Amino acid sequence: MAEISEAPDSDSSKLFGSDSKAPQRPDSEPEFDPKLMRKTKPGLKRLFLTFSVLFSFLLGFPFLWKSVEIYRSPLPFREIDSLSTQLRSDTLLFPLHFHALFVGFDSDPDRLRWSILSEITKLTSQNPKCSDNYTLSVTVDLGSRCLRGRTSSPHSSSYQCGSVTGGDFVQNDDVAVDERLASVFGGKNNEYSMAVVKGVSERAVVGKYRHAWMVVGDGSDVEMAVVKVAEVLIKVFINGGREEGLIRNEFMPVGADGKIVLSFNLLNADPHDWVYDWDFEKIDDTLLTPMIEALGPVANISVESQVLYHTPKASFSYWNQKLESYVFSTKDLPFFVNSNEWHLDTSIAAGGRSKILQFAVYVPSAKECPLLLQLPNGEISKTNGFISPDLENMFEVFIGQFRQLFGFKSLNVYTGASGDWNLLPSERGFTEWELDVLSRQHTCFNLHSCATTLGSLSRLVQSLPRMIIKDEIGKQVKLSLEAAKLALSNASSGVYESSAASSSQARSLAEDAFFHPSIMSVSYYSFEHCFAVYSPFFLPVSMHVVLAALRELRRYKQEKAKYLAWKAKANTAT
Amino acid sequence: MACNTRNKYPAQVFNNENHRLNLYGDNVEVDYRGYEVTVENFLRVLTGRHETAVPRSKRLLSDEGSHILLYMTGHGGDEFLKFQDSEELQSHDLADAVKQMKEKHRFKELLIMVDTCQAATLFNQLQSPGVLAIGSSMKGENSYSHHLDSDVGVSVVDRFTYYTLAFFERLNIYDNASLSSLFSSYNPSLLMSTAYYRKDLYKRRLEEVPVTNFFGSVMETIHTDAAYKALSRRNSGRFEDEMSLDQSVHHIERRMLIKVNDGYEIHDINPEGEEGASKCPWSTFRNKFQKAENVDSLVNYGLVAMIPLLVISTWLVQ
Repeated sequence: MAEISEAPDSDSSKLFGSDSKAPQRPDSEPEFDPKLMRKTKPGLKRLFLTFSVLFSFLLGFPFLWKSVEIYRSPLPFREIDSLSTQLRSDTLLFPLHFHALFVGFDSDPDRLRWSILSEITKLTSQNPKCSDNYTLSVTVDLGSRCLRGRTSSPHSSSYQCGSVTGGDFVQNDDVAVDERLASVFGGKNNEYSMAVVKGVSERAVVGKYRHAWMVVGDGSDVEMAVVKVAEVLIKVFINGGREEGLIRNEFMPVGADGKIVLSFNLLNADPHDWVYDWDFEKIDDTLLTPMIEALGPVANISVESQVLYHTPKASFSYWNQKLESYVFSTKDLPFFVNSNEWHLDTSIAAGGRSKILQFAVYVPSAKECPLLLQLPNGEISKTNGFISPDLENMFEVFIGQFRQLFGFKSLNVYTGASGDWNLLPSERGFTEWELDVLSRQHTCFNLHSCATTLGSLSRLVQSLPRMIIKDEIGKQVKLSLEAAKLALSNASSGVYESSAASSSQARSLAEDAFFHPSIMSVSYYSFEHCFAVYSPFFLPVSMHVVLAALRELRRYKQEKAKYLAWKAKANTAT
Repeated sequence: MACNTRNKYPAQVFNNENHRLNLYGDNVEVDYRGYEVTVENFLRVLTGRHETAVPRSKRLLSDEGSHILLYMTGHGGDEFLKFQDSEELQSHDLADAVKQMKEKHRFKELLIMVDTCQAATLFNQLQSPGVLAIGSSMKGENSYSHHLDSDVGVSVVDRFTYYTLAFFERLNIYDNASLSSLFSSYNPSLLMSTAYYRKDLYKRRLEEVPVTNFFGSVMETIHTDAAYKALSRRNSGRFEDEMSLDQSVHHIERRMLIKVNDGYEIHDINPEGEEGASKCPWSTFRNKFQKAENVDSLVNYGLVAMIPLLVISTWLVQ
């Protein structure tokens, strides 16, 4: 049935659009097969329509991509890595210069220098993190002239011949001698001087500034003096007179933001018996302010004080008839601090990452008065019971405890392997050479801590590719790296104070960046989650559009082929 | 819990039927309660990433020498712990937080005690050294509550917690009980589950570690031998004595170093008498699903059915 078979053809061709005319059953042209040929060129409208839809889809894709993009501030990963490797590989070197002066000895300065250096190398322990690069120069003062030894340092000794004589040391006033030597030696940053004098009474003293002196008797050997000199240079001037184990090495009294808050608390156990108060302002101005100023490069210290009432202690004491007082032992000390009743940590000035050091003075109730602490060896502690009502004595103990936190002992004697040295104390709580030790130690610690923190941060950021990194974090990291570079350059040129301050700034910025509250992995979704959210919207529609475009393209190609076939046939016919 | 309107004893939570001990008593400080107890806040406390305005009392102020006790109790399951009926703490999140803490030296030693169903799975993913962890039950086991307080209407304490408390009640202040005695005091038949602990990351031997290492806020003390006598050289008549001070111990407050020795406890919301015996969600969940339709497979079928629909529609248009 020809018509019926025709009808679907014409119908289907009408469906496809107006531009393909229904092929007539040609009588005139032979071999025209509508299935394989067509007379007119296929139009582009359909193709244009579908492709424009596809194109608009594709055009929208970059906008979509941009809208789901997460903002990540670019962090300088390479610089962070280079800082870590720099600190790890070449250990931080602090340049130091030692100057040894021998008065009244008739020895060759070069030989003395050599023997001091050999003693020093015996004593130096390898500190893996930060070490010191020292140079030594020796001068022998013979009264009339001076013999200066060879020295490897570029420092020219500013010592004038004859400035120090044996007569300076005759009187036993250490403080006066100290001042005299300070005017002679100068005591510049990172230069330490040592004077060995032949005299009458033997004495070995380390001054408040950056020098020490030793008076040896007539009959003593210069070799003994050399050993003592080496010991004081290394153990005292470089290591600060500390030993291992006094305070844990990892404990740093300075908080992560470079601040310390000193909190002084006066605790009245039972106000019904008696109530004590103190004039803290006066103490603060006179005693604490110089110390806080001296420690400026190392930490930014602020002071608070409070008086508390009704603060009983949690442990017990017993009456000792012989001592006529109540005694409790160090066994009870861990329970002494009654955290429940003593509300010490009420500072509002301290930030989240500062360290608060609490100093508490406990006034016992009448039932337990007087109260003494008994040490494990049976002695009574000298530093806790005060009969004399002096606030100064009490604050001396405070300063002793504060120094202990930094690792310094407060006994005025350093007992070394080759003899004792008297250590002169300073009104500022720390002597200059102690401050140098602190600056060096803190610079070393801060720089290493900064490098590890930045390394951890970069690893963390790289492991979470979909976490937002705010601009603030990028800025903090950049500033931290700059401060660290500054600290390194200052340290290698020997300017300790500014290097300590820069290193503390570097560390605090690195900690701020690492502890930024927006870095929480829980809040960010993985890429799979994002895909799972968006694909139900876009995948079905895009699939249809793409399929339609492909289909139209294929149809166009077919129609074009048909037309070309017809054309070829027509050409061959004519 | 204490301030829940359904609590018959407002502001009081007891751990025993006899109501002897009020857990919200005078000396207890609860830092996070109610809606603040979320996974995010918990991880923020551990890692230290707070907003700047968060007060110090809500932060974990630990440093490189601190010993931290982390005690978690509630509902849990395979590698997760339930928070607030709406979210979960996953084991890998916890392990990640502990790793970051260790990198920043926020603790020296950490003891994690978990009392939930399948508790031992929660610390499966830990890798950081210095961590000791014990869970009340192993994978596939449930943990049970101890007894029901018919006055209040809920179970007041879980078995693992009950026996832990019983252990500590037996000690006096000078006892030197070790962690191994604590861990071996758990009897599987009494707990009705196996308490499992993990000590591969903890270097010290458990027999040598006293329980006061983590419990009881017991501090290490160092005596100061001498005062720094620089100031007495100046004229000492400077200060009039304003008081006669018979002082006692000067001891530097090293509280903030080892303060977190004792209970840093997350007060989670206890289940409200959920059928008493088992408190695991998965079994109830599964039951519900088996009764109703299987929603998952329905969704899968729907997706698969879309493909032939697409094919058919394409063919039709052609």
